[in-house]
Amino acid sequence: MRAPFRTALLILPLMATMLLGACATAPDASDAEAVADFKATNDPLEPLNRAVYEINDGIDVVILRPLALAYRAVVPDPARQGVRNVLDNLAAPVVLANDMMQGKPKRAGDTLMRLVINSTLGVAGLFDVATGMGYPQHSSDFGMTLAVWGLFDGGPYLMLPLFGPSNPRDAAGRGADMALDPFTWIGQGSTVKALGYARSGSDAVDTRSRYIDEVDKLKAQALDPYATLRSLHRQNRKATIDEVIADDRGTAAKRR
Amino acid sequence: MTTRRRFLAAAPALFALSQVRPAVAADPDSAAAFVDQLLRELLAIANGSQTAAEKRGALAGVVEARVDLDAVARFCLGRFWRTATPQQQADYTQLFRRVLIKNISEKVGEYQGVTYTLGRAVKREGDIAVASVLNRPGNAPNKVDWVVEAEGAPKVIDVIAEGTSLRLTQRSDYSAYLARNGNNVQALIDALKQQATAG
Repeated sequence: MRAPFRTALLILPLMATMLLGACATAPDASDAEAVADFKATNDPLEPLNRAVYEINDGIDVVILRPLALAYRAVVPDPARQGVRNVLDNLAAPVVLANDMMQGKPKRAGDTLMRLVINSTLGVAGLFDVATGMGYPQHSSDFGMTLAVWGLFDGGPYLMLPLFGPSNPRDAAGRGADMALDPFTWIGQGSTVKALGYARSGSDAVDTRSRYIDEVDKLKAQALDPYATLRSLHRQNRKATIDEVIADDRGTAAKRR
Repeated sequence: MTTRRRFLAAAPALFALSQVRPAVAADPDSAAAFVDQLLRELLAIANGSQTAAEKRGALAGVVEARVDLDAVARFCLGRFWRTATPQQQADYTQLFRRVLIKNISEKVGEYQGVTYTLGRAVKREGDIAVASVLNRPGNAPNKVDWVVEAEGAPKVIDVIAEGTSLRLTQRSDYSAYLARNGNNVQALIDALKQQATAG
């Protein structure tokens, strides 16, 4: 757990230096439409974000994408599905905590049943038995919880080193999710640490392997891949959150 | 006699009129039927036994007929549509159509074996959104909304995949490109020209 913090300490001064003079230039105030566009884009740190995007993209091209390609080519599909199932099952406690904090009983129930069924019948999460039994998988995080509470809107666009597209609310949510994760506090020593790295690493590679074609296409077809990713991320995130907010299954609002 | 002759003279015109679809606004039901038909056409091509090149050609034909390409093109240029000269508007629209059709038809292989279920059709901001779920073998199901124009003959004006609007994303791409190229529409046209001829 300490390693990400150390990385952050290394990156922070770098970011602070880049921040100086890294603000996007606002358009001429007399051009109302241009100003409206600028506000809708809500990316005041664009020059900095673009720099981080370039770094992330460089890491992706040199390390992550080749790993994901090899993973997809070498590991047979059922085994990759097993890896995904285990990772999802490990994430379930945090998803459950957020489902509960969001006040979504049906979603929380789905996650709880998944955790119980897949950890036992599913052999420590290797098989997803629960979906077939009517408990489908969904994701949830603390950024989403903050949005459901209606306390924070996302705020300006933020390109995080390594983690990618985000905003202040979701970035803070990431930290909270780490603190919520039981695997953050149980155990210590080098074995636990190694397992933690193995989990993060396989999560990154597996996730990336599922978007190889999409990302390739985006980079080939977009005139400005950074702006296209920004738009896609924002829209998708908003749709996901809207769907959670609208989900009133099992709540008092539904019964009325 | 005269009445009868007049009627006979008018008959062909009446017949022709009855063949013309009334230009009334489409309702959710007819929009859903339109999307159903469109998906059938697309999947029939994708799963057919033609060569890849023939499939691309057939797919382009469907896109031309079923998508309001000119309206989508105008939307994607956003506020720059009005600052463009008529010549630039024409060049841009023509290139936009070529690039979009190229990008869509290149994907024809991916639609093999896809099945779909139609969801609800609802009015949305003057248009009609028809929900669907596409199932690609070996992939998680995809939620795709088809936005159909309510005015005139039904045509697709936007596709919303997993909450992301294709035309909105495209507009962001173009406007960012324009912002980095001095808001010069000609720069965008040149870039599209490259995209249209590449590959």
